[in-house]
Amino acid sequence: MPESSIFNQLTGIVGGENAVQEPHLLESSAVDGVIPKIILFPENIEQISEIMKTASRAGASVVPTGSGTKRGIGNKPLGADIVLSTRRLNRVIEHESSDLVATTECGITLTGLQSHLRRKNQFLPVDPPHVQGGATVGGIIASNDSGPLRLRYGTSRELLIGMKVVRADGSIFKGGSKVVKNVAGYDMPKLFVGSLGTLGIIAEATFRLYPVPESSGTYIACFESLDKAHDTVKSLIDSALVINAMEHMNPGLAGSITERLGLGSDYKRYSLAVRIMNVSRAVDDQVKTVTDVSQRNGGKGLIIQDENEESFWHEVREFPWRSPASPSVVLKTGVLISDVPRVFLLLDGLSDKYGVRARASARAANGVVIISIDGDKESVINSVKELREFSESAGGSLVVREASPDIKPALDVWGGMGSSLGLMKRIKSAFDPGNILNPGRLF
Amino acid sequence: MQSIKETKHRSPDWKRDFGERLFGILGRDGVIHSDDELLAYDCDALTGYRIKPLFVVLPRTSGEVSRVMKMCYDEDVPYVPRGAGTGLSGGALPTDEGIVISLARMNRIIEVDIPNERVVVEPGVTNLSVTNAVSSYGYYYAPDPSSQIVCTIGGNVAENSGGVHCLKYGVTTNHVLGLEVVLPDGEIIETGGKTPDHPGYDIMGLMVGSEGLLGIVTRVTLRIIKKPETVKTLFASFDRIEDAGASVSGITARGVIPAGMEIMDNLCIRSVEEAVHAGYPVEAGSILLVELDGPSAEVDAQMPVVEEVLRGHSALEIRIARDAKERDLFWKGRKNAFPAMGRVSSDYYVQDGVIPRSKLAQVLGKIGELSREYGLSVGNVFHAGDGNLHPLVLYNSKIEGEPEKALELAGRILGVCVDSGGSITGEHGVGNDKKRFLSLMFDDNDLETMNLMRCAFDWKGLCNPGKVFPTPRTCVEQGMKPYAEHPLQKSGLGEMY
Repeated sequence: MPESSIFNQLTGIVGGENAVQEPHLLESSAVDGVIPKIILFPENIEQISEIMKTASRAGASVVPTGSGTKRGIGNKPLGADIVLSTRRLNRVIEHESSDLVATTECGITLTGLQSHLRRKNQFLPVDPPHVQGGATVGGIIASNDSGPLRLRYGTSRELLIGMKVVRADGSIFKGGSKVVKNVAGYDMPKLFVGSLGTLGIIAEATFRLYPVPESSGTYIACFESLDKAHDTVKSLIDSALVINAMEHMNPGLAGSITERLGLGSDYKRYSLAVRIMNVSRAVDDQVKTVTDVSQRNGGKGLIIQDENEESFWHEVREFPWRSPASPSVVLKTGVLISDVPRVFLLLDGLSDKYGVRARASARAANGVVIISIDGDKESVINSVKELREFSESAGGSLVVREASPDIKPALDVWGGMGSSLGLMKRIKSAFDPGNILNPGRLF
Repeated sequence: MQSIKETKHRSPDWKRDFGERLFGILGRDGVIHSDDELLAYDCDALTGYRIKPLFVVLPRTSGEVSRVMKMCYDEDVPYVPRGAGTGLSGGALPTDEGIVISLARMNRIIEVDIPNERVVVEPGVTNLSVTNAVSSYGYYYAPDPSSQIVCTIGGNVAENSGGVHCLKYGVTTNHVLGLEVVLPDGEIIETGGKTPDHPGYDIMGLMVGSEGLLGIVTRVTLRIIKKPETVKTLFASFDRIEDAGASVSGITARGVIPAGMEIMDNLCIRSVEEAVHAGYPVEAGSILLVELDGPSAEVDAQMPVVEEVLRGHSALEIRIARDAKERDLFWKGRKNAFPAMGRVSSDYYVQDGVIPRSKLAQVLGKIGELSREYGLSVGNVFHAGDGNLHPLVLYNSKIEGEPEKALELAGRILGVCVDSGGSITGEHGVGNDKKRFLSLMFDDNDLETMNLMRCAFDWKGLCNPGKVFPTPRTCVEQGMKPYAEHPLQKSGLGEMY
């Protein structure tokens, strides 16, 4: 427990107007019920460094945050004395459009970054959830969040080429570089993707970018059976088509999304959405090929573009967080591409067995399935256990991305981290010997 | 982290005993110990540095690798991993009083899983044989370093190898999905796998490109990708290499990302033409090779855009390969650029630096100035799309002082790269060769942070020691304490984190 004098020092670093200690505001920033003692809004990397120096001397725990859209990820922290918000670090430092590279401060929202890049007709091709809620670049990296576009472009891991980080002791270091190809020194930026703020505070990031495609089109189809839908997935994967996103939805989800968007009521079946982004003619040609392949498997569907298309993909990204029900969980499981149908079948079984409502969307050609489950407490907990048993026995993993407070304490958030867990702990200890950064959130 | 100097005093029989124990693990045919055979392992493709190892071991399983490394760790014996020895930065150079662990016999393709687009291999499998194993299914393995016929996947992982198609398809780290690793003290771990998004730190991402300093990779899961529907290759010739350079940014600025873009200057064109007759115009100041691939409609739409950009930058001639045969010929010229240089000059040093694409013209100008200042010819051949330069500094080793001059010039070129916002190496690695240049890019704190990470893997600093870092420090010198689990945690009563 830090002494009260450090709060004065911390306030001195950022200025009184950028330090929050009002009880009701602190309560609203609680992380899994752990209420911080102070919230700080530093203006730049130097202030973050000063905060970390002070915190590490005092042994005060620090929870880095952006807009707080993913506060539900991870274990309950063992301490959260200081919430350090990066929101004021919101400048794009450099956009070299002819190099397809940009460097930005990490408190910038993804929306803010994209609108800056858009001026030169470029973008950072990541499409995680919570973007409208203000998801920041730093938060997306730290939580390794991603969306359907990962099929074509990969996640932020594949796009990140450089980084500036403040370590637990306040020292600042950079890793990587500002060129797309570089093998000098260790690839340090990788270490921070998915590290959930436990190793350092990500202050700046450099990404490789892509040109905004000239055109985009999405074909949505529903199928008589899971098998027919999966056969279509297999044919598409085995083709030379260049597909940006391929989402396989279970009947519960497909029905609710299409109804919500007024696309018709036929879709309460296993459905597929395939997105192509390219020059117009290549979009038209390829969407037609997708339609043909789908029709051969009995798929009935339609092509959507423009606003309808954007709204559809928005729903696919945001659906798990729309469930007001409690108890509920949002899960992400990673399995083999060929095991995706087995996840769907298992979900059907869980609905029958426990009466839970399960909606699921699979990045069908990646093997990532996003699942939301709600129902009574015991049933949801048992469903998570059975799903994890399946995923882990099939060589994959299952992570609880969010859980309502009534059941979170009963859940194992991360599942097994495998044989590299010991090494991960040694790395954590090397970077943060005092265990002050997001203690306990990861392990 | 040179632990060698601190090693315990060895008894006169130590080497013999150690060898006997290696025989015990690997059998007689798994240990090379005679002086003349050891000479084959005293360097990699950077032949300027040579050190003869104590032993070379040839394990067949990760268990054997682990037992050897554990023994080395117990005895404070440094060791160096080695694949095919094609590295150009001396990364596989043996260490004094150390052993070499060759992965050459671990060369099986363990699994080809087409429906899941994965291939699992041992580290000694060559790069090209991965593509060969999946080619009949319409797939290939994307990273394609020039040495792909012989270089191994284990070496590719260590160096994060690139090739000529990285601009569009990325480098090794973008295609490795899982690793089995023997950590420096002999512990075997797995990181990543055939499935995506494993929770926890990205150990796999750290291992790729770590130049053999963090452990030895014993199994690799790779992503394979579908061959494109269409491939079109062209080359354009220019009077001025600056125009070729400007065309490259011009093409990407128009929203076109080619599969590959390669530039060669006149010196390279002439030597290549003489060697392989690729059909390049020998009088041209430079040529730019552009390859587009993807769906036919996309390639058809982009080709006129590329041609327009090239003409706008004063291209003299544009030739589009008519068929696969001619395309292979265009590429053959590029891929033979290094060896062909041997016809022009008795000796040459291959530099590897990276610059932002937009600075190509400017940097080439500076390299030209340096070449004149030193009175040494520099051939330029490079992966222009990703700004990865390979200046070839020509010299004659029989002229006194010239090798040193060539090295100095090559070093100055790296300075130009870094000043332009680039890197001292894009694909060859730091290894033993470029240690002193690493601090051009990273300050003490950056390097200390990397070393911190290394200490989490290799407390004793025995795994490929003396490489990459300019001033190695031991973990203790860095003020670190060895990691120990809290007693409560060890007994299972509490979790530290």
